[in-house]
Amino acid sequence: MLKRKWVYTGLAALVVGLATAGWAIQGPDFAGRNLSGLEGDVDRGAYVARLSGCIACHTDVKSGRGVLAGGTEIETDFGSFFPPNITPHPEDGIGDWSLDDFSRALTLGLDPDGKHYFPSFPYPFYTRLGDQQIVDLWAAVQSVPAVDGGPPPHGLRFPFGFHEGVGVWQRMFFEAGELDPVPAKSDSWNRGRVLAQGPAHCGACHTPRNLLGARIESQRYEGGEGPGGEKIPAITATVLEERGWTKEDLIYALRTGVMPDGDNFGGSMAEVVVDGTRYWTDADLSALAEYIFHPEVN
Amino acid sequence: MKASTRLGLLAGGAAIAFALGAFAHGKATGVVKERMDFMVVLKDANKTVADMMRGKTEYDPEKVREAARAMAAHGGESMTRLFPEGSLEASEAREEIWSDWDRFSKLAENLFVYATALEKTANNERAPVGAPSGGMMSGGGMMSDGGMMSGGGTMGGQEQMPSREMLAAMPPDMVFLHVNDTCSACHKDFRREEK
Repeated sequence: MLKRKWVYTGLAALVVGLATAGWAIQGPDFAGRNLSGLEGDVDRGAYVARLSGCIACHTDVKSGRGVLAGGTEIETDFGSFFPPNITPHPEDGIGDWSLDDFSRALTLGLDPDGKHYFPSFPYPFYTRLGDQQIVDLWAAVQSVPAVDGGPPPHGLRFPFGFHEGVGVWQRMFFEAGELDPVPAKSDSWNRGRVLAQGPAHCGACHTPRNLLGARIESQRYEGGEGPGGEKIPAITATVLEERGWTKEDLIYALRTGVMPDGDNFGGSMAEVVVDGTRYWTDADLSALAEYIFHPEVN
Repeated sequence: MKASTRLGLLAGGAAIAFALGAFAHGKATGVVKERMDFMVVLKDANKTVADMMRGKTEYDPEKVREAARAMAAHGGESMTRLFPEGSLEASEAREEIWSDWDRFSKLAENLFVYATALEKTANNERAPVGAPSGGMMSGGGMMSDGGMMSGGGTMGGQEQMPSREMLAAMPPDMVFLHVNDTCSACHKDFRREEK
């Protein structure tokens, strides 16, 4: 009798365990955006692309294969990621996607089949984009020439290659949706906050990550590790000020790549400037710098 | 951990990193030391011009020319001769310098060309660097060769270099940007960021 009781208990535990695992790997059930009625604008979308670093990551300039036709290898502790071809090519790019597919990818980290993207694709940041920005970006991405071929699939180390694990990761670490403005702060500060925590995805490199690759938000911008083990410096207001940086220095550096001591950015930041922040409006650079120097208290 | 403790640790970390950097610099000898000193001269000349370009100090064409001459003197073979194959000890240089020597040499040559152009355009009409004007997709961006949805800028080192006439007609601010894009492209591909 006692033995049977243990068997039932074990079976029940197994069922609960499997059900929990099944629930966990499905990932969170966030609602998609309702984008109906919005018209995309290619020029505005191109600007969103520059805010978001799409071109820097998804283009291999040296190969000459074309804009958004796939980027170069990103080496991480989990293995190598290859930013895919996102030109309108129907087989090798995203030419057969719908706007809703694009929106789900950007804001929920889901591919058209419902599989979870690895967060090397910074959708935890792009989820902060507004509806109109998503529609505009879609228009811009569709406007580039379709290119065939592309980089190889990701090459991840065991056990990180399982997409199912990303559902669990999302349940633990992913929060979807736009940021609510902070009413007590100015419009430019709020704009800077959205830029930093959204499209510019500063924290993707400048915030350290835990063993599961999630950002440690209590150490936001305290420095991290970039592609290939590159050491990424801290950009907290305290550290920047200790190093003699001012808001104007940061704006100039993001526009030109020149740091206050006359040195130039190298590493991935050089790419961020040349393919991204250089194109920002003065107002957006100023807003970002304002936020970086006066962030909210964690 | 208290915020003050964390800040203290950060400040300490920054100080240690600075000290290690200084130590690495001090440890270098021979050609590696020579090129590190060479880069410091280049950096200082760049700062002099950058401060004028951004209005931190008064724009003085003669000082721009002087700094541009110093930068040009550090381009081309003056630069490449300091990178004998395999000279990596106590160095920030990456091995890719020698596996992609053509590109490294081209960037060094570009530095010479752009710095020389800066010297010649120092008296041209100024046009402070700002966001690109014109249509986002039209290619009219002041700082790009291809517009908002093009890749590259000068990062790839494969862009068509402006003709001598085009360079001569540019505002010094734009020429200076070309100088710095060349430096950034070189740092991106050939300078080791700390691991």
